[in-house]
Amino acid sequence: MNLKIENKGFIAITVVIILAFFYLILGFPGMMSALGIILIFMLPAYLILNNFDLEQDEKIIFSFFIGVGIFPSISYWLGMVISFRLAILITFILLVAIAVVLPSRNKASK
Amino acid sequence: MKFKRAYLEIAAFLAVYFFAVYLWTLPFQNSKIPYGEFDAISHWELADYPAQNDRTFVYLPPFIDYSYPENNKYKPHTLWYHPPFHTDLAMISAFARDRVVPIYLTNAIFASSILISVYFVMRKLFGFLPAILSSFLLTFSMRDIMPYLWGQWPERFAYAFIPLILYCFYMYYTSYSKESSKPVYIYMMSILIAVNIMIHPLGFFHSLAGLFVLWIFLLVKHKKLAFNFKHIIISLIIFIILFAIFPYQTASMLKTFAQKDANTKQPPFSRLFQWSFDPKNFGGSVPPSYFSFREMSGNWTLLSKLGINLNFLMVFLLMGIFVLVIRRQDRDIFLLAWLISLYLVLHRDFIGKTNLIHRSLSATAHIFVPITILGALSIASFIKARQISQFLKYGMVLLVIFLAFKYSMPQAYSTLDTAYDNPLKRLNQAQIDVSEWLKTNTNDQQNVSIIGPPPELMEKVWWMASISHRVSNFFEGFLTWGRYKNKPEIASSHLLNDFIVMDYSDIGLISDRSYVDKWQQYEKQNLANHTLLYNKGSIGVYKYESKN
Repeated sequence: MNLKIENKGFIAITVVIILAFFYLILGFPGMMSALGIILIFMLPAYLILNNFDLEQDEKIIFSFFIGVGIFPSISYWLGMVISFRLAILITFILLVAIAVVLPSRNKASK
Repeated sequence: MKFKRAYLEIAAFLAVYFFAVYLWTLPFQNSKIPYGEFDAISHWELADYPAQNDRTFVYLPPFIDYSYPENNKYKPHTLWYHPPFHTDLAMISAFARDRVVPIYLTNAIFASSILISVYFVMRKLFGFLPAILSSFLLTFSMRDIMPYLWGQWPERFAYAFIPLILYCFYMYYTSYSKESSKPVYIYMMSILIAVNIMIHPLGFFHSLAGLFVLWIFLLVKHKKLAFNFKHIIISLIIFIILFAIFPYQTASMLKTFAQKDANTKQPPFSRLFQWSFDPKNFGGSVPPSYFSFREMSGNWTLLSKLGINLNFLMVFLLMGIFVLVIRRQDRDIFLLAWLISLYLVLHRDFIGKTNLIHRSLSATAHIFVPITILGALSIASFIKARQISQFLKYGMVLLVIFLAFKYSMPQAYSTLDTAYDNPLKRLNQAQIDVSEWLKTNTNDQQNVSIIGPPPELMEKVWWMASISHRVSNFFEGFLTWGRYKNKPEIASSHLLNDFIVMDYSDIGLISDRSYVDKWQQYEKQNLANHTLLYNKGSIGVYKYESKN
């Protein structure tokens, strides 16, 4: 388990700047969309990748590109049987739970 | 000090990316009305439907099935794309509680994510300056902007995976030895390939070609296989699990791939010496300018006033290739393999695979641009004196920025700024209102028919279908076209119990006045005895039912 995010302060400032930018150009829906992209696509996948021996920039980039495939794959199938919004929430909890239980592998393996 | 530099680099990248996103979102900054060609309509409705109905689906809703019943080659009437791309858009739409901005913004971020992946890979392999300049120049790539506007949404995003997949393989291979290795990269690669398929198969085929060429090149240079049975098995298992999540779509993809292409004409030998295609072979699908490097990338004719009509973009690109070939470090091989694999993909017509071949051309800037930047920056390395070399290097940086602003940005900006601002291209408020009314007041098993629109309004009808989640029959040109010879029969058998929409809201935009007269005459003769349920903003909705 490794839920620690490196450079928290800098990341927080960056996120605020990103949200402000999207609010400026596209209003509230734009800002909420950017927040959704960070929370849904990136955060759970980042927490999972945090358990692996990757550099922080790699974790950030991979979390986005992996998150856009893994997260919807789960919420799509869940959305068949339960409310789609609930499916999104459950998928988020599930992926964060995986990040928590996953053993940390922060060293190069043989 | 090191941290501060990293922060500055991130700030610089954010500035470039914000600038790009600002440009790419221009089409929906002022007008929050959906736009795009028929492809865009299908993507928007596939994303909007789950968000609005709070459920996902295997079988297409009737209004989508009407237009795309056979698109899934393996299981008709189901989604033809793997669900993740549209589910992504749907999730953000549901989260942000808006139907237009979240879907278009998420797509804009997906489409422009090639700037992110190229920046990341170039930063890792070549450092900050080549990375930031590559990302900056890609902002104006017309071969990316045009398909993005037209609506080839998933494909645009799929290309952004290619450099990352190659990077993962490269990292695994170059760090591999018998004593230690970093298998996490091969696992990442496996996941990214699977996600790449889910986004769009074309990107996946590009990635496979890239991996193959990169592996061959590294193998020749290092003479090591970098093969660990355990790593390969684990990554295969990861891939197969992800590959099997959406069987209908995967089977459809494989079936499409296995099909013999209709056009099996052998291309001329001379095409081996060309990157692009003859525009005449693609008339009607994309404009001729799409096939021109000069028009799509920019014509950097810096010295034209001196009578020298050299396109410096091309000069830098050739210099870049030259430097990579001469130097042949691992990172150079990375770019060369990517370039050669793109060449192979663009010449797949030689093995009879022509399906979507012109679309592969839209991936050219992704590799041309980084090599162009390396070519421009390499000029400084020819100077031995360090101070002059540094001066020249930063001078080239400024020159590239200047040339990009002067020659590449104007076309990109004007295209994005004026995209779909013709009133015939976007719904008006009356059309949105009636679409919302239909969505609320009819159920999705009832037919809603639009009769009569001339071809120039057909995209609007499709957009109304998307927004209303209804409209299951289009009778395009019904009133004037000879094709509908049995009009009374259509009216009695096909339209019975349908809701009929008569839309005069664009009346002022239709050039052929006689068309409108026919429309009104038809309404008077055929619908006068039926119930008018909605009448607002020059749009009427009738319930066409038998009075018996």
